[in-house]
Amino acid sequence: MNIDLDKMLAKVRSSQWALADIDWDAPGAELITAEQWPKLKAFMSDLMWIEHVGARGFAAMAKKAPNETLKQLYIYFHAEEQRHANTEMALMRRWGMLDGEAIPEPNINLRLVIQWLDQYSDDMPLEVLGSVIPMLEIALDGALCKFLLDTVSDPVCHQAFARINDDESRHLGVGFHVLEMQGHGKLYQMALKAVATTLNPKLMLGILAYLPLLNRMRDNIVTMGLKEESLYSAMQKYERIGGRTAAGRRNPWFQIISRHGRLVVNRKHLYHRPVDALVRLTDHYPRRLLRPIPAWVKQLTYKTTA
Amino acid sequence: MSQSSVAKKASSRRSGIAKDNAAPADVLIVGAGFAGLGTAIRLRAAGIDNIVILERGDEVGGTWRDNSYPGAACDIPSNLYSFFFAQNPQWSRGYSGSGEILGYIRHLVEHFQLQGLIRFGHTVTGLEFDAAKGLWTASVAGGRKVSARAAVMAQGPLSNASFPDLPGIERFKGHKIHSARWDHAYDFSGKRVAVIGTGASAVQIIPELVKQAAHLKVFQRTPAWVLPRLDYTTPDWSKAVFSRVPATQGLVRGAMFWAHESMAFGMIWNTPMTAMLQRISSRFLRRQVKDSWMRRQLTPDFRIGCKRVLMSSDYYRALQRNNCELITWPIATLSEKGIRSSEGLEHQVDCIVFATGFEVSKSGTPFPITGLDGRRLNEEWARGAQAYKSVNIAGYPNLFMSFGPNSGPGHNSALVYMESQIDYIVRGIRTILKQDLKMLDVRAEAQIRYNKSIQKRLSRTNWNSGCKSWYLSEDGFNATMYPGFATQFKRQMKVFAEQDYRAL
Repeated sequence: MNIDLDKMLAKVRSSQWALADIDWDAPGAELITAEQWPKLKAFMSDLMWIEHVGARGFAAMAKKAPNETLKQLYIYFHAEEQRHANTEMALMRRWGMLDGEAIPEPNINLRLVIQWLDQYSDDMPLEVLGSVIPMLEIALDGALCKFLLDTVSDPVCHQAFARINDDESRHLGVGFHVLEMQGHGKLYQMALKAVATTLNPKLMLGILAYLPLLNRMRDNIVTMGLKEESLYSAMQKYERIGGRTAAGRRNPWFQIISRHGRLVVNRKHLYHRPVDALVRLTDHYPRRLLRPIPAWVKQLTYKTTA
Repeated sequence: MSQSSVAKKASSRRSGIAKDNAAPADVLIVGAGFAGLGTAIRLRAAGIDNIVILERGDEVGGTWRDNSYPGAACDIPSNLYSFFFAQNPQWSRGYSGSGEILGYIRHLVEHFQLQGLIRFGHTVTGLEFDAAKGLWTASVAGGRKVSARAAVMAQGPLSNASFPDLPGIERFKGHKIHSARWDHAYDFSGKRVAVIGTGASAVQIIPELVKQAAHLKVFQRTPAWVLPRLDYTTPDWSKAVFSRVPATQGLVRGAMFWAHESMAFGMIWNTPMTAMLQRISSRFLRRQVKDSWMRRQLTPDFRIGCKRVLMSSDYYRALQRNNCELITWPIATLSEKGIRSSEGLEHQVDCIVFATGFEVSKSGTPFPITGLDGRRLNEEWARGAQAYKSVNIAGYPNLFMSFGPNSGPGHNSALVYMESQIDYIVRGIRTILKQDLKMLDVRAEAQIRYNKSIQKRLSRTNWNSGCKSWYLSEDGFNATMYPGFATQFKRQMKVFAEQDYRAL
């Protein structure tokens, strides 16, 4: 996927929108059924947090961008993911799912990922975040948003997600462009560097936080009625798009993440035993060991004006 | 020639001043700021009196007349940010405010009796050289013309302020203020205010506004390196000593000069001192700002010196006040009621302060300048401005500039650079008048040679190390900064190499 980053930046700049562009009091909120409501509440909360975590990932990538245009794009994507999280929170408010002014409570795996992002994401090389983010975007956003629009008939939700999906398509375009960009160079050098990076204890901690989060999200959304297959087909899409050029395939991080995707997809694989155990284990993670919620989380808001 | 004799002679020659459409003057100067007035003073000292200064405003002072926003001050110590030939023993602070600096400039006018030379309300709209007569003619708004044998462009690099090109700026219905055109009648108390920009002006405005406004939102695009400003109130004894023994002030000034000069090692080039300065600035940030996310938002990701280093001891504290908010999301658009940032929020405010700087001309000229054979300077400079020693341009004889291309300092007082430019300009003009030349034109090959060397030296500086700043043009050409010590600049300006000029 070869794109002109300068044109993309101009497009991003001219495609900005605000929460105030949506009429949050328009009719349609009543279309959420009583049966849907509790499941949808948990689903929206997870979705919002994923957007927010993705936003922080882009913030870290902006610091590592190899050129000014890409840096500017990541600065915008950071803000746009935050906008998506804010929009989803505004939808939750519209549907009466917020407890007053409070931000929905993140699950323990999200808390751990937030903590890791806060402490270590700025130290991660671009190729790691640049390969994981498209996977999260395509697997979680792609599958989850589709599921949401299939099950919710509130027109305001559709209107909001039409805008969100527009932004996401640009994020994915740039994401796969960078994935391929980082597949250029001597293979053995890239492989050696990838091995060295995986030995970084900070990254290991990140992997330990990321793997159970993926499995917990899968469990949560399956409980809500999303077919596991649709999540898996979205993850396979990552492998298909990322691997369609030689450069993309040469990127060791693409290989690692897509292979991991295959493990996640294969429900019968032994991989799930330790990871599911980790999910259960994290339930018992002592809350007192968690660091205070970072200031960037407190910037989330459902409000249209401030 | 002593200053007093200059003053005496000046008053006796007052009748020699050129009138509009009358006999040409010897020198016309565009702008009555530091550079214009300083040039006039030194020309007089050299015995050149037939001078006319064209000033678009109705008051002297240039930048210091225009920048009267709350907290406006110089970030170079006053003892160094003043003319060596007119020191002021009465500076009230280490870093004086704009009002006091403007007072000093007014004092220069009075002391050197420059009032009669200045024509206020004269906005120059063009300069044209007549080769046959060896005369520059300035067209002035309203149709008047003023001619002189030599012209000095002293309009200043930071003189044109304009609102930035932000989408939707015309839609905002609240109050708009530019930092360089402050609206002193506007009452900020109880108001919701946004400040766009976090550069040199903003870090001075924000600590003042936060005391007055009900709520202040600061929109930052790029954080800058900030160093504490060690300001102090001048004790009376020091003023008394400086007054009685002026040489002591000279010594202090000298010490300050060398202290700033040593900063070039870290600011201009990438040396171990650069890393040390970054560490000092980071430590200052860590001490002042407790929240790690805010520190991250305020940490630059370019090398110190690449952009202007900001000097402030109260900026970080101001940002952390309860009624202040730092916003680092990109601005998406302005709306009727405020600013919409890209995270989707509309920040509603009563007033927006644009601390967005100036249009520093890196490729154009402030008005059309026509030289030999009808050549236009803005066309020649379209791909980046260049001059010979920052003062002369080939094809534009008898034209001199202060703060012309590649004369900006990043580490020392601009006035030190200005003084050596002025002395050079005076030598050039004296040559024209003394030898009764029609034209003194720098040779194109000398200009090319000079710029090749400047650009080569610039490529090794921090300014050209990859960040985006007002020092560079859109395509990364550096036409603003001088790549060296002030001492080097002074030394180069001491030599007037006649072989580099064509005299007719």
